[in-house]
Amino acid sequence: MIIIGEKINGTIPVVKAAIEKRDADFIAERAIKQTEAGADFIDVCASTAPELEIEALKWLIDVVQDATETPLCIDSPNPRVIEAVFKYAKQPGLLNSISGEGDKCEVLLPLLTSNSWEIVGLTCDDHGIPRDVETKVKITEIMVEKAAKYGITPDRIHLDPCLLALATDNESYLNFIKDIKAIRAVYPDIHITSGLSNISFGLPGRAQVNRTFMALAIQAGMDSAVIDPTNKDMMATIFATYALLGHDRNCRSYSKAFRAGIIDPNRKKS
Amino acid sequence: MEILKKIAETLYDGDERAMPGLVQEAIDAGCDAQEVLDAMMAGMAIVGDEFSRDELYIPEVLCSCHAMMEGSKILKPLLTDQDSKSLGTVILGSVQGDMHDIGKNLVGMMLEGRGLKVIDIGIDVPAEKFVEAAIEHNADIVACSILLTTTMPETPKVVKAFVDAGIRDKVKIMIGGAPITQDFCDRMGCDMFAKDAGGAAALAVKLCEK
Repeated sequence: MIIIGEKINGTIPVVKAAIEKRDADFIAERAIKQTEAGADFIDVCASTAPELEIEALKWLIDVVQDATETPLCIDSPNPRVIEAVFKYAKQPGLLNSISGEGDKCEVLLPLLTSNSWEIVGLTCDDHGIPRDVETKVKITEIMVEKAAKYGITPDRIHLDPCLLALATDNESYLNFIKDIKAIRAVYPDIHITSGLSNISFGLPGRAQVNRTFMALAIQAGMDSAVIDPTNKDMMATIFATYALLGHDRNCRSYSKAFRAGIIDPNRKKS
Repeated sequence: MEILKKIAETLYDGDERAMPGLVQEAIDAGCDAQEVLDAMMAGMAIVGDEFSRDELYIPEVLCSCHAMMEGSKILKPLLTDQDSKSLGTVILGSVQGDMHDIGKNLVGMMLEGRGLKVIDIGIDVPAEKFVEAAIEHNADIVACSILLTTTMPETPKVVKAFVDAGIRDKVKIMIGGAPITQDFCDRMGCDMFAKDAGGAAALAVKLCEK
């Protein structure tokens, strides 16, 4: 599982306050904690007013890079903001995100020429999120073909099939696995990712729904996720699911993670 | 009357299959169509309140909305001639750049459930479109759904569009969505902030009953 740590996002009230106060210690601690917990990428999303976003995002990038070696996931709904801060990243990471909307592909894909940066691609376009799997595959094909022009192979793309909330769509998980099947039939090497907490929107006890979804989604082929890696229950579900599916020889990763305190809520990490 | 009480309870329970039969039964027993509608709306008011207090959850609210729709289908032909006038008219949409529709749709169903006429103008709606729709439908309220911090700056544009059109004093502007607060509402010069769909409906009803 490729883990994109979600804890540095300006939509979280305490993070919003830290960004406004430029509280570097607070942000650095979140970066370190997520690295220790096993994050593969650390998402940075400023989520400020548009005119302040570039400056805030650059600051977040600097703080996180000073604190850890973990690659960044640069996150903004505005491709021009990502383009503006891209040069401040010291090593290749992940861009979040392109979709069929506007000129996102045209602005961001050229940045990935001749390097090993990866990118998140959402299956939505200017008409919103399609309900049917055929349109999602179509949008995926358009993105992958545009990426190919810049030498970007599908294994550098994390495709997000735009999971809907279970509360308002009873078939949201069932549609998600149909999306994965159809997309992987065309591109076997593409990563499938998800913000996943959207699944439990509007339901009580969201954490339990999220974890159960994680187990089912891993089995369905999701191999990347935007989550809080310091959530030990979620991490335990991930490690246990991989072991159960036979992807963790002799349960070594599960055992190691337990010993390291990554998945054992009763153990304090030193 | 026993049957009306049962209709209110069935609406609350969100039993959409049972609803048409009960409504028909009430009509056959001599109930006035408006009385039956009032009973359904009474049930809906409880649903809205409990949803606001986190005692009911979205899937349950949706069931009640569906029950409301099923019951209304039976009542509609009976209401047209007499007192089908709505409490007020609401223009509803997600602001420009915002593709979210779950919250907006829920608000729409709640408003309809409480007796308001809802004109849903969709997602990604430019400020001018809100104005056009408000004029065309002689709206009492314009309700804007704003789900992203990046689309919050659309709010003053909507307000300004109504000022520019010279109808700011004729329409109340209601806003809601995850990043919205009462403070933001006040600073932007909007009239009402709704925390959730039940709250939006309660505010709208209160305003239109004045």
